[in-house]
Amino acid sequence: MRRGVAAVLLLSPALAAFGQESEAELSRIPIEEPSTPATSAPGPLRRVTYLESATEPSLLRSALLVPYPPPLPPAIEQRLLLDATLFWAPLHDLAFTLSGLVELRAADDIPFPTHENIRVDVREAFATWQPFPGAYLDAGRVNLKSGVAIGYNPTDFFKARAVVEPLSADPAVLREVRLGAVMVRAQYVWGRAALTAAFAPALAAPSPILPDAELPSFDPMLGRTNAVNRFLLKGTFDLVADISPEVLAFVQGRSLSLGANVAESIGKSVVLYLEWAGGRQASLTEEALSFGVLTGSLPVAVVTALEPNPALSFQQDASLGLSYATESKLTLWLEYHLHQAGFSRQDWQGWFQTGLSPSGSFLSGALWYIRAYALDQVEPMSRNSIFARADWVDAFVFRLELSGFANVDLSDGSTLAQVSASYALSDAWGLGALLSANVGNRRSDFGSLPQFLSGVLTARAYF
Amino acid sequence: MSSFPLPFWFRALALWALPLAALGQSAEEIVARADQVRNPEFPFRFNLALTEYVAGKPVGQNALAIYSKKDPATRQFRNLVLYEQPPADAGKAVLLDGRAFWFYDPASKSSVRISPQQRLIGQAAVGDVLTVSLAVDYVARLSSTETIQDAARHPRSCWHLDLQAADDLSTYAHVEYWVEQGTYHPVKAKFYSDSGRLLKILYYRAFEDWLGGTRPTEAVILDSVDSSRVTTAKSSGHRPANIPENWFQREFLPRFQGE
Repeated sequence: MRRGVAAVLLLSPALAAFGQESEAELSRIPIEEPSTPATSAPGPLRRVTYLESATEPSLLRSALLVPYPPPLPPAIEQRLLLDATLFWAPLHDLAFTLSGLVELRAADDIPFPTHENIRVDVREAFATWQPFPGAYLDAGRVNLKSGVAIGYNPTDFFKARAVVEPLSADPAVLREVRLGAVMVRAQYVWGRAALTAAFAPALAAPSPILPDAELPSFDPMLGRTNAVNRFLLKGTFDLVADISPEVLAFVQGRSLSLGANVAESIGKSVVLYLEWAGGRQASLTEEALSFGVLTGSLPVAVVTALEPNPALSFQQDASLGLSYATESKLTLWLEYHLHQAGFSRQDWQGWFQTGLSPSGSFLSGALWYIRAYALDQVEPMSRNSIFARADWVDAFVFRLELSGFANVDLSDGSTLAQVSASYALSDAWGLGALLSANVGNRRSDFGSLPQFLSGVLTARAYF
Repeated sequence: MSSFPLPFWFRALALWALPLAALGQSAEEIVARADQVRNPEFPFRFNLALTEYVAGKPVGQNALAIYSKKDPATRQFRNLVLYEQPPADAGKAVLLDGRAFWFYDPASKSSVRISPQQRLIGQAAVGDVLTVSLAVDYVARLSSTETIQDAARHPRSCWHLDLQAADDLSTYAHVEYWVEQGTYHPVKAKFYSDSGRLLKILYYRAFEDWLGGTRPTEAVILDSVDSSRVTTAKSSGHRPANIPENWFQREFLPRFQGE
């Protein structure tokens, strides 16, 4: 009996504490609630439209080892973007997608007012027909993407030449501002597999690589997205449990590439992923210089002087990475990138030696063209690199997102580093700031670029 | 010399367990019955309106459309979540299928695999918490019977259950769960991380008749990491849905527009 009384006495403070704890919890429940957002069934027309202002100052290096051919990147640029994505499904089995932007821009390398101050890009414009459940036919300009990595996607075969005027070098941004290719795509999605076939025909001659300031105002730029016949066949299937690899075969002209990617959760916080592609092709230097001659951007004499090796060999590309998420809404990624056709350490030594040689001024345009070509192809310049990224949602305060990444060239240790912050003032308004730096010694990949620091300040309003 | 060689704590626990033994109900059965109260067995869809509060003030709203279908192999719900509001998130989609989680962003038109931990960052996790079959993912043990206050401060006589993750991939390592005796209505849950950290407290409320049962239509989620933050989740528009198996393929995510 005494034990029972003692137990009750002992438990009393605990019960009181439990009551206090419960009261503290209940007092946090909001009393008045705002009207809830519309959650009715979606109508046949959906749109996402926003207006964005972007101010982009840059700090250029005063002296470069290898002279950069004019025009230099602008020291400051102001852009106003009206971006819209529309989806209209007038019938159950028929839908239309339209996505694009209208841009007003001013920069110290663009005269004002001229037609160069306005640009229109149609990223996507296609119709979708669903002849029977699970089957889809698309026709029009389509952004077809593949891959599971975040820093570099070797199996994303349609990325080449598709990126237009990105606000930053962030791979996430590069995926958003790219033009689709005009194609016919057929897809069937089963319960445990999916098969996709796409054909993008050659519709225009290859267009030259242009600096942003010289991009056409009103032009579908088919010379970028549809300059050669391309065919893609890819399938994904449930191999075991939750492992669903994707395998791809891609034909461009007469060149065949194969690819595969897979991603798998390891434990509760880690995702491991691998993406690989391979095919017979020439080196980056050869491909770039050949393209320069083909499009009339480089004189044959200059290319001949650089003595590129036209031999084809089996070249591989890969991204091997992992992500790690913490309980604090911080996610980290680490990737290794292989681009076998890219520059080795010896290639970089050759690039600088040629640029510094007596004939350097004669050849510098072609040397920088190789680098512009890699950028245009959305391929790494170097053979081996490391990509690290961090993303912190609700950092310090609600709706503040901080992120940053570093792309390290393993041949010389030079780095492209970027940090950014975005804050949602409301459901409709957002502010952003970004700082990017090309860090390294003057005789390195990123250290030799004309832009040392660049920033972007953005304000975006959805309507 | 005591006539009862068993320790006092054991006898106290036995006293709590006796009424249940008489009813022939195990902790697992209670959790399973509460799962049946929370969600129907057949495929269904619903809308979820989320309101975020910071220091008691509403600061953001999300509208989601959720399509749920039970996997006969795992007895766990698979969810497809489509973001409808705010405009910045409209069109984003999340596939939550067993242990395979994919996030699709229409801006980049690409799907990224996310870990069980990473899925908790987004609002889609709320939908997942509401449909999770706790009886499948957790091993239950009856802790006690208690009278607690529900979200409206009404007293409820509850079973207090202690749930431990059945494997290391369950979303939360440990859950405390209060289920009303007799009705099997879920009243409250506390979710803990692997490290034992209390992450969130959830109150179920606004029980209404939908899809063949009296079920909760609202949840109040108290963030325990940041005590200034509260989320309310109001569900509506429940209806049976024909959800084909191919909706749970990642290649379907870019096609997903709801019904």
